[in-house]
Amino acid sequence: MSGQKEDSNNRLNTGGISTDQQLLHLFQIHDSAFPIGSYTQSFGMETYIQQNMIKTKQDLIEYCKSYLYYNLACGDGILIKESYKAAENEDFDKLAKLEQICNGMKLAKESRDGSIKMGKQFLQTVLPLSESKLVNEWKNKFDNKVIKGHYPVLYGIYTASLDVHVEQAVLTFLYASVNGLIQNAVRAVPLGQNNGVQAMYELLSPIEEASHIVENSTLDDLHNNALGIEMASMQHEYLFSRLFIS
Amino acid sequence: MEFQKRNNRTLLTNCFQQPPLKASRELYLSNKEKATVYIMESSGGMVAGDCNEFDVHLMKDANVCLRQQSATKVYPSLNELSCVQHFSVKLDERARLEWTPEVIIPFEHARFSGNTNIQMKQESTLLWGEIIAPGREKRNECFHYDDFRSSFQIWLEEECLAYDTLHLSPAMMPLQQMGLLENSLYIGSLWFVSPVVQEVNLKDIHEQLQESEQLKASVTSLEGKGVHIRWLGSDLWLMKKEINKLGKKFIDLQK
Repeated sequence: MSGQKEDSNNRLNTGGISTDQQLLHLFQIHDSAFPIGSYTQSFGMETYIQQNMIKTKQDLIEYCKSYLYYNLACGDGILIKESYKAAENEDFDKLAKLEQICNGMKLAKESRDGSIKMGKQFLQTVLPLSESKLVNEWKNKFDNKVIKGHYPVLYGIYTASLDVHVEQAVLTFLYASVNGLIQNAVRAVPLGQNNGVQAMYELLSPIEEASHIVENSTLDDLHNNALGIEMASMQHEYLFSRLFIS
Repeated sequence: MEFQKRNNRTLLTNCFQQPPLKASRELYLSNKEKATVYIMESSGGMVAGDCNEFDVHLMKDANVCLRQQSATKVYPSLNELSCVQHFSVKLDERARLEWTPEVIIPFEHARFSGNTNIQMKQESTLLWGEIIAPGREKRNECFHYDDFRSSFQIWLEEECLAYDTLHLSPAMMPLQQMGLLENSLYIGSLWFVSPVVQEVNLKDIHEQLQESEQLKASVTSLEGKGVHIRWLGSDLWLMKKEINKLGKKFIDLQK
């Protein structure tokens, strides 16, 4: 009985849960209600909105494609995949290096801070759900300020501990990141829910394609060509009025 | 190249060079403490398969300004091979290095891969600028190159302050799309890492950068230990002028 009670208190004792439950949990951590604050981040998009460059559904789709292919797929996507693999091998040195690279790649202060903030909130939220030794050790390193706690690296570690496929982990991350932007644009432009739904539907195929790009990439392929977005992200800090914190 | 400070003077104490690369002797422009050295590329440009390697070590307290004699021209690659350029820089305690920008110009069908790795110790200073051209603009040769890769890293002790990588393949990607280069031709970057960086007023710089209508530019802080400014625009001379002006402002902070 006591064993049963322990199990029911810890639903993600991953040894005993089915693949379907793991997949559902993956959906759960990307739910907009999951408290990591993605609704507060625009990662530079708000600058474009204020400059009147995103006015229609088509503008939003174009913007999201740039962000998806030339920032996410060649940046965070690869970092997640590599972190997932390093976590599987319990390679802490590699994880620490990936953290540093992630920190260095996010040149705009607010995007860098946003990634750390989301990581911190994610860590606090999943900690009571996870028995993973690695996740707990990462928390210790975070408490001791050995790492900064960037979200993509932590997400790679956590999804590795869940035993979901790395492809699914990357695919859902890309989906959630783009969806987060769209939901924020729907409110900030404003565009209306139907436009948001249609934009997201049109982006499903690019998201799938971007996830294949990540699959075929290594650390040597890391880059960021979305210089316009990066610049907008730097300028965001100085906008007069702001809905989002990045 | 290895630089050391001896008797209040920075000397180029060790220099190994092979053609086509050549370093000048030390020049002392305003003071004896700072050595200015020109790096020359005697062949006139890089052809496919070339590999230029620069290894620069400033020992503690050395103060150096490195300059290029001319733009780096990257000729067409007719054999699919890239031109490779490696820059490895090591700055010991309180060393100061300035690298002022000349332009990298990839010609039609050029392939270039550049790798710059800067390792800094606490209290050392770096001022580094760079401009990437779309090609020979005046010959209407913009974005006609095949492939341009650049990786630029700054490590302050164990901390990665910047990991800036580009991989531009104009034929394979819509560079003019919103979020990428849009209507800009030139990419300019300036990096300043220094113990005096706290004295830099980022808001003032931001406002100053917004004054230009021809250039887009923005500034950000690198963990409170450095400053990064990026320019996107189509007026090369104006961009160069702006980069040099701000570079000088940063260097003057140390006096």
